[in-house]
Amino acid sequence: MTLSIRNLKLSFGKTEILRGIDLDLEMGDCLALVGESGAGKTTLGLSVMGLSRGSASGEICFKKRSLFGISEEEFRELRGREMAMVFQNVEDALDPVQRIADQIAEAIAVHRSISASDASRLAVRHLSNVGLNKEKARMYPHQLSGGEKQRALIAMALVNDPDLLILDEPTASLDALTKADIIELLRSAVVGRMCMVITHDLSLAASLAERMAVLYAGRIMEMGRTEEILKGPRHPYTRGLIRSYPAMNATKDLQGILGQMVHGLNGCPFHQRCTQRIDICSLEVPKQTEKEGRIIACHRGGIVPLLEIKGLGLTLDCYPVLCDLDISLREGETLALVGESGSGKTSLSKAIMGLYEPDRGAVILERRRVEKRDSAFYSRVQMIFQNPRESVSHRMNVLNAVIEPLLVQKKGSSEERLERAKKVLSMVELPVDDDFLKRYPHQLSGGEVQRVAIARALALGPKLLIADEPTSALDPSVQAKILKLLMNLQDKMGLAILFITHDIALARKISDRMAVMQSGRIVEEGATNEILACPSHPYTRRLVDCASGRYDGGNGDIILDRDVAELIAKPGDQSALEKYC
Amino acid sequence: MHVDALGEISHDPLAKAGAIMLVVITSLALFAPLFSNYSPHDYTGNIFSPPDRDHLLGTDSMGQDIWTRLLYGARTSLLVAGAVALISSSLSLLIGASAALVGGLYERLCMRIIDALISLPTIIVMILVAAYLRPSLPLLILLISLFSWPGGARIIRSQVLSLKQRMHINASRTFGAGKGHIISKHIIPDLSPIICALMMQDARKAVFMEAGLAFLGVSDPTVISWGKMMNQALAFTYLDVWQWWLVPIGLALSATLIGISFLSFSLETAIDPRLRRDESIEGSMSVARRA
Repeated sequence: MTLSIRNLKLSFGKTEILRGIDLDLEMGDCLALVGESGAGKTTLGLSVMGLSRGSASGEICFKKRSLFGISEEEFRELRGREMAMVFQNVEDALDPVQRIADQIAEAIAVHRSISASDASRLAVRHLSNVGLNKEKARMYPHQLSGGEKQRALIAMALVNDPDLLILDEPTASLDALTKADIIELLRSAVVGRMCMVITHDLSLAASLAERMAVLYAGRIMEMGRTEEILKGPRHPYTRGLIRSYPAMNATKDLQGILGQMVHGLNGCPFHQRCTQRIDICSLEVPKQTEKEGRIIACHRGGIVPLLEIKGLGLTLDCYPVLCDLDISLREGETLALVGESGSGKTSLSKAIMGLYEPDRGAVILERRRVEKRDSAFYSRVQMIFQNPRESVSHRMNVLNAVIEPLLVQKKGSSEERLERAKKVLSMVELPVDDDFLKRYPHQLSGGEVQRVAIARALALGPKLLIADEPTSALDPSVQAKILKLLMNLQDKMGLAILFITHDIALARKISDRMAVMQSGRIVEEGATNEILACPSHPYTRRLVDCASGRYDGGNGDIILDRDVAELIAKPGDQSALEKYC
Repeated sequence: MHVDALGEISHDPLAKAGAIMLVVITSLALFAPLFSNYSPHDYTGNIFSPPDRDHLLGTDSMGQDIWTRLLYGARTSLLVAGAVALISSSLSLLIGASAALVGGLYERLCMRIIDALISLPTIIVMILVAAYLRPSLPLLILLISLFSWPGGARIIRSQVLSLKQRMHINASRTFGAGKGHIISKHIIPDLSPIICALMMQDARKAVFMEAGLAFLGVSDPTVISWGKMMNQALAFTYLDVWQWWLVPIGLALSATLIGISFLSFSLETAIDPRLRRDESIEGSMSVARRA
């Protein structure tokens, strides 16, 4: 164990910035610390360097030596030689009145007994290692570009070959090309050292660090292998961070995390912004638990699985509509169910809702198998139908439509129902004046009626929303507004959405995962961006090709529907496969 | 129901006309003794006397006052209309809706009975039955009802079958609503315009049927009926008397039928908000303005 941090706490005055950090770094490890600004990332880096003010407690062991209680003199010996930090703000980190090479030479001279000319030769060599030639080495900081200054800083941190390197936002404010160069440089710099990369740039973390720790308000929320975390975040906060990061391969629209970080909360630091909080979250700090190499601090064990469907089968009029379907949906996640019409998408939604009685298989809601669809089930799962004009009774005005679910479930007094109706209507951005409440569906526009239908579905406060082509009856601009609304509701309430559509372009923008359905089976399932980038099943490929306008009419390398069906019906029949693939 | 049907139709000129006609006829029938000095069965002396101050429409071949008989005849028509409308539409609703909701063997049985009833030649069967059982007013009402509900029941069943599959009923089921809620909050309100239309249609048919049967001689001899009066008047068309005997009765019969039709048309429009064209345009415009 070369660097180990145990229960590190640090506070400025009364504000606790770090609230018990546990970290271990081995030689050759590179750990990315990510999180929003103010999460305590830099403070953590500085406290390891012994540079942070404020009162600290806990333990930091560096090479089996406690860093608490050693004198400033001893610390200075360590800094620069054993551990080095590349500071965040390149403008301020360099002395403006000294040449670059001289500053580097100074860093060398402090830790070694070496002649001035040797030191300066060494400095020039180090600078050329990071890509700065002799002329540049003789320049003053203001004569260098941002990228060059960053290189100089990296050279300065590396001159004494430290064992621990802390990089604080090494590529912030650099353009993409310079950033790529710096990342290349850093990759070689981190080899054989312990390294901490402090950043909010997930792509940097992905390209530099094998491990990643997600920090929030002074606590580690999730820690594990970088790729795995980025691909499948398990903590709601991590997922929020990833969703708000504009990655090149992300397809879903950006979604921020609502609310602001507040330090010093009781219980889980994230509970105010968390959509799956329960009572205990505001009372107790969650313990870090390790599962499959992933450390998560969450009372609910990370993002909870909301709906699981196992081996669902449905036969209507002797015709098998659904065969052995498996899907799963987690809290706050959108799963797009795509496929051509007749593939059983709507039947699946109706089977989940109990409008059709499935022949076999299980529907598991919040880890409990659904035996009977009672009011408790319907208050967790709600559905939005395809055509709002049909799904909202034309005999009911807005108010009556919205309070119908409450009436059915006999919830609240009539005042409470009115209150709730107004609340959900304002959630879907509709007016709540008496005039509007008394309107009938035919007096509203299509988008407004769909909003009323959404408000009605929200009235019972569900966690899972099944949206069956909710925008197919609407024009694109209204559709965009409705989809934005659904995403906002997802942010606000952590709604899991099963979004049924035949429109892949639409699914691409709103879903985290995608399941492709054909003839009552799921033929492919996975992260939306991955499925769209490289669809593996021929049917998916065809759907994606058609959606992107590359369909050539079926007389070539694209397989006809009938043939695909054949392939699926006879999976062993390789000749058919060879014929078309 | 939150659609104020009465309030709605009070603005519709068609409904106004229909309602006025029906109200006038009904009040004339109800308060017949106030509008006439004679009893309908009285012989008032002269036969075939032309209209004058004493006899507004003159007298008939028996010397009875035609105006008085016209008023009392309206009672019969309206009574038959109302009773048949109620009995027949209730039967239609009960059997049609239950067939659709219960399904299975019960539904098949009901539908075959309906087919059988519809295929019977109504008038002939009624004449035979009435002749055999000695015609009386309640029997006539029952007979007419018995022959007019099957058509309605078919319509109701088909409506309920389609309603059952409607999205808003599915939506209601996804809130956890039971059969009771769906029937009372969705199916019955959705059926109400059809029930209204059925009742009006039944009433109209009943008026016509009763008059027709009486004209053919199938009626209670003690009851005054427009059909019977027309039958009697037709025997004297060679005299001038038809002008104040036959024509007023024909006009009264037409007025009743037209009144019911107008009202039924307007009521249907009022109860089904989708048929209210003008207001919907106005409504969406005001929404657009607000947006």
